[in-house]
Amino acid sequence: MLAKYVVRRFLASIVVVLGVTLITLVLMDRTRGTYVPGIDLNPALRPEDIARLRTNLGLDQPFYMWYLTWIWNVLHGDFGRSMIDGSPVMSHILERLPNTLELTGTAIVIGILLSIPLGIVGALRRGSKADHALTVVSVAGFAVPQFWMGLLLILVFSVTFEQHGLPWLPSSGATSPLNGGDILDRIVHLIMPATVLAFFYLSVWSRFTRSSMLEVLSQDYIRTARAKGMSERRVVYLHGLRNALIPLITLVGLELPGLVSGGLVVEVVFGWPGIGRLAFERALQYDYSTVMGVTFFATLLVVAGNLLADVLYAVLDPRIRFA
Amino acid sequence: MAQKEGDSDQQFELFEQFLKEWSRRDFLRNAGAAAAWTAFSGGVLEFLEACGGGNTTTSVTPKKGGHVIEGNFSDIRTLNSMLSSDTASNQVIGLMFDGLLNVKKNGDLIGALAQDVPKTSPDGLSYTFKLRPNLKWSDGQALTADDVIFTYALAYDPKYADVSSPRRGDLSKYIESVTAPDPQTVVIKTTQVFAPFLGSHGSYGILPKHVLGSMTPKEINTADFNTAPSVVNGAFKFVKWDKGQQVTLERNPGYWAGPSYLDQYVYKVLPDSVAVTTQLTTGEIDIGPVDPSQFDAVKIAGNVVLTEFPTPTFTFYAYNLDPAKLGGQLFGDKAVRQALLYALDRQKIVTAVYFGHGVVANGVEPPTSWAYKDKPQVIYTFDKAKAQSLLDGAGWTMGSDGIRAKGGVKLKFEMITNAGNKQRESMLTVMQQSWKDIGVDATPKLIQFPQLVSQIVSVRTFDVFLVGFNWTIDPDEAPLFHSRNTAAGGFNGADFKNPDVDKILDDAIVTLDKAKRKQLYFQFQDIMSDQVPSPIILFNTGIWGVSKRVQNADFGPFNQFGARPWMKDVWVTDGK
Repeated sequence: MLAKYVVRRFLASIVVVLGVTLITLVLMDRTRGTYVPGIDLNPALRPEDIARLRTNLGLDQPFYMWYLTWIWNVLHGDFGRSMIDGSPVMSHILERLPNTLELTGTAIVIGILLSIPLGIVGALRRGSKADHALTVVSVAGFAVPQFWMGLLLILVFSVTFEQHGLPWLPSSGATSPLNGGDILDRIVHLIMPATVLAFFYLSVWSRFTRSSMLEVLSQDYIRTARAKGMSERRVVYLHGLRNALIPLITLVGLELPGLVSGGLVVEVVFGWPGIGRLAFERALQYDYSTVMGVTFFATLLVVAGNLLADVLYAVLDPRIRFA
Repeated sequence: MAQKEGDSDQQFELFEQFLKEWSRRDFLRNAGAAAAWTAFSGGVLEFLEACGGGNTTTSVTPKKGGHVIEGNFSDIRTLNSMLSSDTASNQVIGLMFDGLLNVKKNGDLIGALAQDVPKTSPDGLSYTFKLRPNLKWSDGQALTADDVIFTYALAYDPKYADVSSPRRGDLSKYIESVTAPDPQTVVIKTTQVFAPFLGSHGSYGILPKHVLGSMTPKEINTADFNTAPSVVNGAFKFVKWDKGQQVTLERNPGYWAGPSYLDQYVYKVLPDSVAVTTQLTTGEIDIGPVDPSQFDAVKIAGNVVLTEFPTPTFTFYAYNLDPAKLGGQLFGDKAVRQALLYALDRQKIVTAVYFGHGVVANGVEPPTSWAYKDKPQVIYTFDKAKAQSLLDGAGWTMGSDGIRAKGGVKLKFEMITNAGNKQRESMLTVMQQSWKDIGVDATPKLIQFPQLVSQIVSVRTFDVFLVGFNWTIDPDEAPLFHSRNTAAGGFNGADFKNPDVDKILDDAIVTLDKAKRKQLYFQFQDIMSDQVPSPIILFNTGIWGVSKRVQNADFGPFNQFGARPWMKDVWVTDGK
């Protein structure tokens, strides 16, 4: 039953991947005009240079030919080379991926670890000062744009701290340019970007845990559990939390592709050498092959994340069955 | 997921809005300082004299050791000198690969791998370069004329036509042959006398034949060497490139000009110009280009010395003069073009948009050029009355709606530039307001950069475009103003065709007689000042922030990028 479901979802996801990559390509192609990616205007550049470089990049052919060639190559495991720097797209992705996973993974873990307890507290002490404070914080997390919070942190913890001779945090990059790269160095660079990103997850998930918990706690089986004299602790954690967390799984599962793409704004603000920033910069430069590679990758993860969430959901909640 | 993407889009809009707000706030704060600066930058010549000041002179003995981190918001694309077309890449390449020649900060050519500027044959066709004795690659192999021949072949020899070099068009047109009578001598024979040759093509980093020589053209396009050069001939050797973060170089002990003082040099990629300021302030970077809007913020920090000098980089707007298009009807009459320029208070633009860091252009040649004519035939100072009388005289009469018209055609058009460039966006707004005052209805329109480029080089359905450009050390301006470059792919998107200008530009490149060239370019500047097909608003200044611990940085108009001949002499006072 499950296997059949997975196969069906997999087949559907091929259509999704094809659709998303095709739309991405058409959007780039329609807005590119006659621009040749990677060529800066300079007086020594001649019309014949531009024409020749366009042909070299395969941009003299219609976009559907380019797309078919791309698909054919991808089926053979070849993601092509960047139009900007000639390096393999796969090596770009693999080089950036660990950095992105480091950032988003840390943020997601911090988010989960903090949001669940906070959500529970909010639900159990509904209406209390602590609950109100949490509400304010999480609404702020929704409302405050990530770039703004990022710049604010840089201003305070890099610039101001440095000026006052306090220990300050580096304002960009994943490692120090010289003699960097050890664990401590990476953690120091990670603090600010991971905080900004985790704050967002924290806000969403703690609200969600709270409302889900409240809903579960008002269920009949909770009243039954209490009525039969079960300790409050057992009621809350065994019966309440287990059921309340099920919807959260979906939410976190949906956030899995965010492991790759979710940190875009944060990556740009903190000059983090990750996938999101790569895609953003290369989209501005019309680097077709790199953008297509990242899009393909991200789409695949979205599909896989959804699938994983659905499967987990069924495993955790016996009421759900695949049809 | 779809919703999440929507969120981040929105956040980006907010981000851009924020940046705008930010610059506005800075603008208010800087307005006073800018006024003072304007007074200072009045005399361009004195300004030139003062250029490259800052921390260049020192009586202390230089110390060996330590590092310098340079920050910039432009990422590197390739480390292969014959494939590169952007300044960021050229700059890092220049630290690892010397060319035959190099450029001093005033634009004078000097010998690099070649002992001296080459002798020219009497017919002006051949250049004979003598290489320095005992030149070595960093792996110990001898660097000979063969390497030079190989490097130039990549961009002119038909055998290498598949190498994606942006230099092929020019080089294959002008190079007849590159030969080596002996391993120490290189003779480049050109197909015709071509005055800009040495200045434009004499400084390309020479590549090692013994590493790349056995590869096919396609292999060269994608060689590992392009991202991690194993062998160099310049002041620094390649260590590593952490993509999206930094390129690290170290001293090349066998450098022909003597080893550098620095142990290491790092080129660090930053998110934007604000980050450059932040990191100059915190000391995370030692050198960085400073945006005019950030000038005061850096100055206040106190640990950084600012160097400012004029450059051949400029911002201009161009009319579509194609008679078949609307622009041709509106701007075909030079009186209209002149009127619009008189109506612009360009000094105000320099003050308001560039915080005073720029020089109003009198003509089309940059003040940094040896062919610059200080006072061309017509000089445009802000004169609204004159603008109006010129338009009246040309038959453009004011309508009841406040817009001038002639023969039923309104003086109404669109101005395009690329979205995201704050300064260009502001300039269009100023132009819109200034021209509205004289009854001209100009609407700014922001488009993406690739579309702007397409408009300039091929589509050409625009009325007016505004963009920036950068001249080389040679005064030749054919790319923008020669009629042959109105062809698709050429940069004369304005469709400016003037037989006199064509003749002057042609004559001026087929003689090596500098005095004669200068005289021709003076004529050229006079005609252009009368015709104003593409008025230049300002020439930008180059502004660099250099940490006080860094000594001997010697930035000037022509040696900011590319092979900085002064980089090997840079040292740091704390030895770190």
